[in-house]
Amino acid sequence: MTIGSMLGDVVKSFFKKPVTEKYPFVRQEAPENLRGKLVWEPEKCTGCMLCVKDCPSNALELIVLDKVNKRFVMKYNLDQCTFCAQCVINCRFSCLNMSEEQWELASTNKEPFEVYYGREEDVKFLLEKASRGEAEGPCKED
Amino acid sequence: MEAKQKSEKFIVPIGPQHPALKEPGHFEFTVDGEIVTNATARLGFVHRGMEKGVEDRNWTQGLYLMERVCGICSHVHAMAYALGVEKLANIQAPPRAQAIRELVAELERIHSHLLWLGVAAHEGGFDTLFMFSWRDRETVMDLLETITGNRVNYSANVLGGVKIDINDAQKDALRRGMDFLEERTKHYLKVVTEDETFLGRTRKIGVMTFEEATLLGAIGPTGRASGVQRDVRVDSPYAGYPDFPVNIVTSDAGDLEARFVVRIKELYESYRLVREIVDHLPGGDLTVKVPRRIPEGEVISRVEAPRGELFYFMKSNGTDKPERIKVRTPSLCNWGSVLTTAIGHKLADMPMILAGIDPCFSCNDRLVMINGKKTETQVWDWEDLRQYGIEYYK
Amino acid sequence: MNITFPSLIALLLFPGGLFLLGSGLFFEYLDRKLVARFQNRIGPRWFQPLADFIKLLAKEEVIPAGTIKSLFILLPIFALAAALTAALSVPLFGFKPVFSYNGDLIVTLYLLSMMTLCIGLAGANTEDRFSIVGATRALTQLFSYEAPFLLAMLGPAIALGTWNISLINQGATQQSLWFIVSQPIGFLAALIGLMGKLELPPFDAPEAETEIVAGALTEYSGRGFGLFKIGRDIELVVGLTLIASFYLGGFSTPLDFLWKVFVLLLITAALQSLFARLRIDQTVGLWWRIGAILVLCQLVLIIVGNTLSPFIAPLLGG
Repeated sequence: MTIGSMLGDVVKSFFKKPVTEKYPFVRQEAPENLRGKLVWEPEKCTGCMLCVKDCPSNALELIVLDKVNKRFVMKYNLDQCTFCAQCVINCRFSCLNMSEEQWELASTNKEPFEVYYGREEDVKFLLEKASRGEAEGPCKED
Repeated sequence: MEAKQKSEKFIVPIGPQHPALKEPGHFEFTVDGEIVTNATARLGFVHRGMEKGVEDRNWTQGLYLMERVCGICSHVHAMAYALGVEKLANIQAPPRAQAIRELVAELERIHSHLLWLGVAAHEGGFDTLFMFSWRDRETVMDLLETITGNRVNYSANVLGGVKIDINDAQKDALRRGMDFLEERTKHYLKVVTEDETFLGRTRKIGVMTFEEATLLGAIGPTGRASGVQRDVRVDSPYAGYPDFPVNIVTSDAGDLEARFVVRIKELYESYRLVREIVDHLPGGDLTVKVPRRIPEGEVISRVEAPRGELFYFMKSNGTDKPERIKVRTPSLCNWGSVLTTAIGHKLADMPMILAGIDPCFSCNDRLVMINGKKTETQVWDWEDLRQYGIEYYK
Repeated sequence: MNITFPSLIALLLFPGGLFLLGSGLFFEYLDRKLVARFQNRIGPRWFQPLADFIKLLAKEEVIPAGTIKSLFILLPIFALAAALTAALSVPLFGFKPVFSYNGDLIVTLYLLSMMTLCIGLAGANTEDRFSIVGATRALTQLFSYEAPFLLAMLGPAIALGTWNISLINQGATQQSLWFIVSQPIGFLAALIGLMGKLELPPFDAPEAETEIVAGALTEYSGRGFGLFKIGRDIELVVGLTLIASFYLGGFSTPLDFLWKVFVLLLITAALQSLFARLRIDQTVGLWWRIGAILVLCQLVLIIVGNTLSPFIAPLLGG
């Protein structure tokens, strides 16, 4: 039976630095295997579509330009992604990876959340086609 | 106004947004002065239709949907689902995967219990304990982030195993974290069992006897604080628990203090288990292959969530989508105990008693029909349910 | 410090009026910051209370149905006015009080209680359940701490034989032994009573957010709430000044005032962070079973000592 049994903590913490993190000014280092933004490398992709099939939030779209020559463009909806890494597990050729650096994913508009991966000329081709076809807004390549 | 109040009962409504828990639930306490004479609860403000939604997804996608039933105990939901699917497909995840599942489950229990300790202290107006326990909870959150890559919905499971492996650096981090937390937890146990002002709010408050607990079907730490010897981890071990067994923690007092003590002592068990798993992690693969089409069948999968027994019923029709998934979350079982023990206590004790069961409101978003006469059957079709939903939220 | 200000300046600018409002906000900041530091947090920045106050003043004031409108509007003004008036006879910041007369101690103590009464009335005025429960609790708490607090403040007054605050302050300065040493129970009762008056934890049952949202002030928004809040801040300044001048050996310079009041604030902040909230029945029990009796005993001792001192003093002096 004591009164004020947290006195020790209280006194100690008065002389200690507060643990509050001043986040936007001081950034904590992210752990090595943090699951941040998804990265896709087009070179190894065979277009098996397993990543798209099992994505729980339909964040991935694989657009096939030419199946034989392996020309694919991956449309990645960052705002729908739940960072579960199921696609990374599914991919047998390890084309997919989650970045540990890019995890600050806040923005004032939707534009940065529509990410196109692929060979530069493929993405360009696709975007041009899209802009010709419909009045879709210009999407920047990330 | 005076006359009006005398003639009608004085009801203090709390909710639909609970002022203390910041979660959607509606309570009505009939009070006589400060003494509560009747209590009712209304839940289901966050019905998200997940059980229906999972029928529309394939087995793999369902895992991630079910993981989001609860934000705090996400891993146990995914684990219950994955274990159920593996049972249906008649395969077994490798021992290393099972051990890692248990490891993450125990880390999650640590984080959940520390969170609860802070919330319960805040309900009692002991904000210093709240701040300190949440500060220390950051340690286990960081550990979870280090080993799984996410802080909240860890997604450590896949069907047939786990995604993550534990390396030596992570093992060291886990050991260090457990040492720090154990020391802090010892201190908190001292605070909640010795501090005079806090004991005034917890000792002999919200007492639930063993008989009441069994009658009301109290489960998890709430039941164990009343002496109910029930823990799925012990009764029917799953995942890694046969290899790394748990000792059941119970108390006979049944009051709020006992619930604090039981949960804090469970933390010790979790620290011990984490250390043991880290020291004796079995080698081998992380996953086995699970077919896309799960064979036809029905299965029941039970795991012990931080709040009590979590129950999954799963039915497969042989396709790549589940036919029916039924979830019974632990919080739902403990509501009866809150409403019964509330009567006769002071209004000021209500938040503490409510928090005493560690309620998780988002787990309560399901329809419960109680069929009193066992012979009667009821059939509700889609249209009936829809109409019921419209009426309910009107 | 024996500077007398022209009464208009003293009333409106310094040391009363605007400066008092500002220091009230500053004291709130200090209190919050200290509690935060005790809890290993970072706490608010210095302008946070001011920003809150300005925001509240700028916000729309919702007057709920079923209330007496004039009362709803007037109560916060009364509460603030009472707190500001109470400051007039108190040696704020070590300066001579603006109005000093015999018996102003009693008047000040009553004015300090006006705040709680106003809050109680404000709660009872609305039909909101939380407000009514909060108001009942606030008034119950008033009855429990008021008598011991009054008795505790009377201790030094009776020992010095004057009921004039500035004379007590002067007397306390000349005492060789601070009253905190000779009347420790009185000091504790006064400090804890002040915490009860201001509804600071652990005596925050009347506004326990986890039980009854914001207690009696649940229905208040905007201006009314802002005025109540700043009234409470001023009461904190006045109350701490009173206790420091009575029990910590009084003060004659602003510097003296500052360190003594800061020490008191440090103690109150520590007490705030050390305990769990007391239920209202526990509060009443604490005050009447322990507080009142101890303070009463001490008061009797003081009175007996005072009456006997003419006879004892020659014996002691040799």
